[in-house]
Amino acid sequence: MRRTFAQSLALYATVIFTLVMILFPVYWLIVTALSTTNELYRLPPTFWPTEPQWDIFARVWAAKPILMWLWNSMLAAVGSVALSMLVSVSAGYALSRYSMRGGATMGLFVLTAKMLPATLLVIPLFSIFSSFGLIGSLWTLVLAHSTMIIPFATWMLKGYFDTIPKELEQAAMVDGCSPLGAMVRVVLPIATPGLAATALYAFVLSWADYAYARTFLVNSPDNWTANLGITTMQGEYVTYWNDISAASVFVALPIIAIYLFLERYLVGGLTAGAEK
Amino acid sequence: MANISIRNVSKSYGALNVLRPFSLEIENGEFVVLVGPSGCGKSTMLKILAGLEPATEGQIFIGDREVTDLAPGDRDIAMVFQNYALYPHLTVRQNIGFGLKMRGTDKAEIDRRVDDAARILEVTPYLDRKPKDLSGGQRQRVALGRAIVRQPQAFLMDEPLSNLDAKLRVHMRAEIGALHKRIGVTTVYVTHDQVEAMTMADRVVIMQGGIIQQIAAPDELFNNPANLFVAGFIGSPGMNFLNAELRGGKLTAFGQEISLLRATSHQGPVVVGLRPEHLTLGDGPVTFGVRPTLIESLGSEKYVYFDAEGARIADGEESKSKGLIARVSHTGSLPKDEEIRLGFDPAQLYLFDAKTGERL
Repeated sequence: MRRTFAQSLALYATVIFTLVMILFPVYWLIVTALSTTNELYRLPPTFWPTEPQWDIFARVWAAKPILMWLWNSMLAAVGSVALSMLVSVSAGYALSRYSMRGGATMGLFVLTAKMLPATLLVIPLFSIFSSFGLIGSLWTLVLAHSTMIIPFATWMLKGYFDTIPKELEQAAMVDGCSPLGAMVRVVLPIATPGLAATALYAFVLSWADYAYARTFLVNSPDNWTANLGITTMQGEYVTYWNDISAASVFVALPIIAIYLFLERYLVGGLTAGAEK
Repeated sequence: MANISIRNVSKSYGALNVLRPFSLEIENGEFVVLVGPSGCGKSTMLKILAGLEPATEGQIFIGDREVTDLAPGDRDIAMVFQNYALYPHLTVRQNIGFGLKMRGTDKAEIDRRVDDAARILEVTPYLDRKPKDLSGGQRQRVALGRAIVRQPQAFLMDEPLSNLDAKLRVHMRAEIGALHKRIGVTTVYVTHDQVEAMTMADRVVIMQGGIIQQIAAPDELFNNPANLFVAGFIGSPGMNFLNAELRGGKLTAFGQEISLLRATSHQGPVVVGLRPEHLTLGDGPVTFGVRPTLIESLGSEKYVYFDAEGARIADGEESKSKGLIARVSHTGSLPKDEEIRLGFDPAQLYLFDAKTGERL
């Protein structure tokens, strides 16, 4: 069916509107970074700096321990993704495949944990971590972020495992695999898109955290994550928004890189051909 | 290759009995088909045999070995699933060789046996493709290849043809039959399709409600059904049933008294069974007139649908609306809306107890 002119117009208008909504903040971040401080406060605002200060990235990189912050963020994110995936893959698989007494209730209970706001857990987590002497360590973030990620990831993965026909594992077991072997050799390779999507989501959740990092790490500057580090660039009397924006660009880059890396695994339809 | 012995195997989920004590001796090299409507317990029995579901009670022997508590992989069986269950992330070659690899067979031997299996099933050109790049029939062949490559003691097949279109189904049916003749492995095949059961089996096990109704060779099932269920299930179109009274060796049906040629002491209400192909156009030993409600022509033969007093409809909305059926050889045209004469031989009637449904 061919689209009418009006339909095409509506379609393109919607696409362009959505793109603007999504990309404008990114564009504005870059414009802010490149503008001089004077230009930032000029009214009406300029949509492209008259003299873009490209050297700002190098200046900010040299002035602040951005690499260390990024490294800390990366450690916390990789650690929480690894821990969460280990738990969530097993839990999601069990919820999907095995019927057990109270299994459904347990599944829902896991999900309610996700409904609690992160700030609600800050105080109990602080008290737990301090009794283990963990405050100030990146382990606090690995554990705290896992409490956010695991409930959601478990359900996301359960949903994905549900779409994989049980007969594939049964075939693998008849072929000589143990139940664990069938999961590792057959189910997990097929679930790659689901695993990649979940891991990406988990990574972003950990990377974007500020509240936990601020609470548990504030007195340990060597363990500051990028988000926490950037907020310390806010001055008491004057804030250089262009410096903060330039630093923020650095923080956004790893997420983009990871997305590009995982994108090839995010395609669905890997089970195509398993069944009719 | 081995014989299989199933001894009093039952399965229940709490109070729900899906399989009543089931016993069956399968000879070495035999092709046994379990057939019955959905929910009759045939797939459950196959899964228990495969070790994918535990039996509640009973024992299973494959060859001389008791396998009741063994894992599926330790039973030396191969299974073909209804939806093929090919590993989508592996190539055809890897799919077929997977079971051998799991058993630690060396690479050269795997390659040799995969090539052999592929040649038998004519999938050699597709060995490097993924399952998604194959047609339904090719996928089914790969699934069969995965089974034969292991040279197991027995094949278990769970409705392997039901996902194929009608034409391919007939073709693959013949291929599986030929494959069985060629390699002669003991096979247990589950289907709900009585045509598959009749054409492929050495022996058929008919099940309903978790209970075996009859175990017999296909012709024996057709000619000597044990009860109403078997009589109605085997044959296409299905057997006609009428409620009738039996008194002193005489039946009242089709508005007349019919003398039975064989002696029976049974008195009272019975169900009379008459196969559509045992009705003929024109006069016979017993003749009656009917007004057809519908005539379907299949070219060389015609299905004449009609109503009769006492007609008893076993199942299915379709037969309910169409009534009794006569399958007659007739290439000319039959007059519509006119009475026609149908005849049959009382010796070909089947009698069943109206209460128990057992054959009299």
